[in-house]
Amino acid sequence: MTSGEAPARRGVLNWLLGLTGGSVLASIFYPVVRYLAPPDIPEAAALSVNAGSAQALPANSARVVPFGARPAIVIRTPGGELRAFSATCTHLDCTVQYRPDLQRIWCACHNGEYDLNGRNVAGPPPRPLDAYDVNVTGDEITITRRS
Amino acid sequence: MSLRAWLDERLPLSDVIDTLRHKRVPHHRYSVWYYFGGATLFLFLIQVGTGALLLLYYRPSAAEAYESVQFIVSRVPFGWLVRSIHAWAANLMVASAFAHLFSVLFLHAYRRPRELTWISGFALLLLTLAFGFTGYLLPWNEVSFFATRVGTDIAASIPLVGEALVRFLRGGDDVTGATLTRLFGFHVAILPAIATALIALHLLLVQRHGMSVPPSVEAQASADPRAVRSIPFLPHFLLRDLFAWTAVVAVLAALATFYPWELGAKADPFAPAPAGIRPEWYFLWAFETLKHVPPTVAGLNGEFVAVAMMGAGAVGALLLPLLVASARARSVVTWIGAAALLFMGAMTVLALRAGQP
Amino acid sequence: MRVRGCGTAVVLVAFALLAGHAHAQTTFEAATAAFKDDVHGQAGLTCAGCHATGGSGTYAAPPRTAVAMRCASCHSDAAFMRKFDPQVRVDQLLQYQTSVHGRRMAAGDPRAATCTDCHDAHGVRRVRDPRSPVAPLNVVTTCGRCHGDPVRMAPFGRSAAPPGEWAASVHAAALVARGDTSAPTCVSCHGSHGATPPGVESVANVCAQCHLREAELFRASPKRDIFDAIGQAECLVCHGNHRIASPGDSWVGVEEGAVCEQCHDAASASGAAIVATRRQLDELQTAVSGAAALLTRAEHAGMLVDEGRLALQLAREHQVQSRVLVHAFDAAPFSKAASEGLAAAGQAQDAGEAAMRELRFRRQGLAVATLLILAFLLTLWAKIRRLPAPPA
Repeated sequence: MTSGEAPARRGVLNWLLGLTGGSVLASIFYPVVRYLAPPDIPEAAALSVNAGSAQALPANSARVVPFGARPAIVIRTPGGELRAFSATCTHLDCTVQYRPDLQRIWCACHNGEYDLNGRNVAGPPPRPLDAYDVNVTGDEITITRRS
Repeated sequence: MSLRAWLDERLPLSDVIDTLRHKRVPHHRYSVWYYFGGATLFLFLIQVGTGALLLLYYRPSAAEAYESVQFIVSRVPFGWLVRSIHAWAANLMVASAFAHLFSVLFLHAYRRPRELTWISGFALLLLTLAFGFTGYLLPWNEVSFFATRVGTDIAASIPLVGEALVRFLRGGDDVTGATLTRLFGFHVAILPAIATALIALHLLLVQRHGMSVPPSVEAQASADPRAVRSIPFLPHFLLRDLFAWTAVVAVLAALATFYPWELGAKADPFAPAPAGIRPEWYFLWAFETLKHVPPTVAGLNGEFVAVAMMGAGAVGALLLPLLVASARARSVVTWIGAAALLFMGAMTVLALRAGQP
Repeated sequence: MRVRGCGTAVVLVAFALLAGHAHAQTTFEAATAAFKDDVHGQAGLTCAGCHATGGSGTYAAPPRTAVAMRCASCHSDAAFMRKFDPQVRVDQLLQYQTSVHGRRMAAGDPRAATCTDCHDAHGVRRVRDPRSPVAPLNVVTTCGRCHGDPVRMAPFGRSAAPPGEWAASVHAAALVARGDTSAPTCVSCHGSHGATPPGVESVANVCAQCHLREAELFRASPKRDIFDAIGQAECLVCHGNHRIASPGDSWVGVEEGAVCEQCHDAASASGAAIVATRRQLDELQTAVSGAAALLTRAEHAGMLVDEGRLALQLAREHQVQSRVLVHAFDAAPFSKAASEGLAAAGQAQDAGEAAMRELRFRRQGLAVATLLILAFLLTLWAKIRRLPAPPA
């Protein structure tokens, strides 16, 4: 090879090296930068979860929300108090609902009933519903598992 | 004044660059093994980096550890990648460290004046294994919980200090949240501090003494000078090292994508141990050996004898260069090393096959 | 014969065995040992409370036909029983007298069951004591001593199969295997003191105690009047009475082996409705199990699919509801529940597919990254090759 070609080839090679090397570095730094930005839900929903608007929950009504992989029920009692329980019936795992006419938590599968403290009061359920702590910040209800 | 000149006035920049410019690395038929030391270092740096990233989201308590790892792999962008790379690089680092150890052993690079390099290196190998053991529990899943319990149980067979050692490792009598916090502290603070100091020493010594040339190649060189060439560190060796390191990155990315690390089931301390609990592959050989040891050996507890022998082997390996002076001794060491490698390999294969349903 | 001090001298009591009676001659030792755990003994009642003292202290057992009256002399006296348990019922004798056992006993047949056959004579425990023969887990054994014994049942022309059949049912499985004490035993449907099989018209009322939803739907459906008219017991025709097994989607149909086929045939309008119902049930089952399999595959591949699992749980609940709504025998509400189930199963399927897409996206991302790395490695290799040969 002539002495004129070699520097040109080296120049192209170096340029190519820079380009490919830069793209490799970019493909490493892009995931790192994305990783560092906090996700929308900043922490695991294992211990607590947002249960929606407090204003949108009138007295003597309830809302079922997901809590991790199981459902939870948030109730506003006729007296206006907010309470939250696991919504999985302790009999055969159906999802319970609120009955405003009975003012009780009711399971459609075998007519089980729980009172507003989560205690099993009628029908087959053998155990009360697990209770969760309820906190309201602004208009947002947060329910937290009790450890 | 240029930036370079400004820095040069304050830092020994020119000295470093000059040294590197003049540095040369031997180049012979065995010099490909030189790359394993650098690869191990590179993998350690990857662990520090991915470990620091994981630390931003991980929570070291029994109530939250598993959920935080689940959060990392499911909700954090590229969290699955960071976690899987951390887990795979750990395994690759242990493998690379062992490859580095055995290549140094068989190429006799531990001989004078590199005894301290060997000793610090062997200590680093033990630290690497400790990193692996402490890190394994941190996801707090079923497999890691029981593997830690079984692993720490083995310490109990050491006489006099066994019980105390187990309590020290577990932070109590059994594996609990206290164990998790304690091993976490070891994994992210204490072991890295010791490792950093030892790595600094190790690298300083390597820099001081340069790369060792095996005796057989040296003998050849006296007959034929062309047998031992050397290449400049900058750019020849460095670019080759960069090649190796980039290849490691490619392998890690592939492993993380095609064999993502499992989350497993959350640890339940009250559940019975599931069948087939065993430690990570680099401890399997010791595990399998203990399984095959007879209950008593020469009147002593079999497990104790095996652990004692492994301990003696480790001490012997640590102090190897101080025990070996002559060429005869070195060839004995080669045979012992080959036997040890074969033994560890055979035990590992046996253990893996026993695990197959 | 109320509470009175017992004499010190006691003799063996000979208890005349009547043919077929469950208890052997009760020795004095056995009786006093058992009486230690007896709720009557703990309340202060003594042997003389139930037994007439004979000469030299023998305690004669009351004749079987008189046992019920003797027990009732206390247990039907509300003012007396209130002293021991303010809430205890005092209508057991009245109920007994309406029962088949009571009526036979009143007619003089000593083979029928009386109080001591189920409650024991000397070691009477409360019903809630798990060692009591009438505790829920022990009921079928107690009833089965006669009703499961072909020798005892033959003279009455009754089958001895029911206890064994019940033991093979879902109710027995719930009680014994899962410990669900809300599951029915013999007494839940037949009554205890007033033990009688429920009549054809009242079977639905018995099942409705727990299966309220199905009963309500059935009563509002055209089937109820039809069954009453043809004299068929409601729930029994499809579900049986003792050996009640888990119902399956395959029961709904007009082919051989399906339950509806007993009365309906494929040609009629009702047959078409049945076939349509079955089709929807099968469709829903396919959707649910398909989504479940996909979600499991995604999880095993390392993806997390919480929302999918929730949707699948919802789909399963809609599936349960649609199966319950079969009892309405009306296409509209059933179809509504089935299509809600299909929608939820579809959501679960979508979540699973999204997870698999994300997995593919990751692999594509890796492919790109690997290509870049390979390009770099290639260029680097070329660069290394072209480095000037190092001086030796």
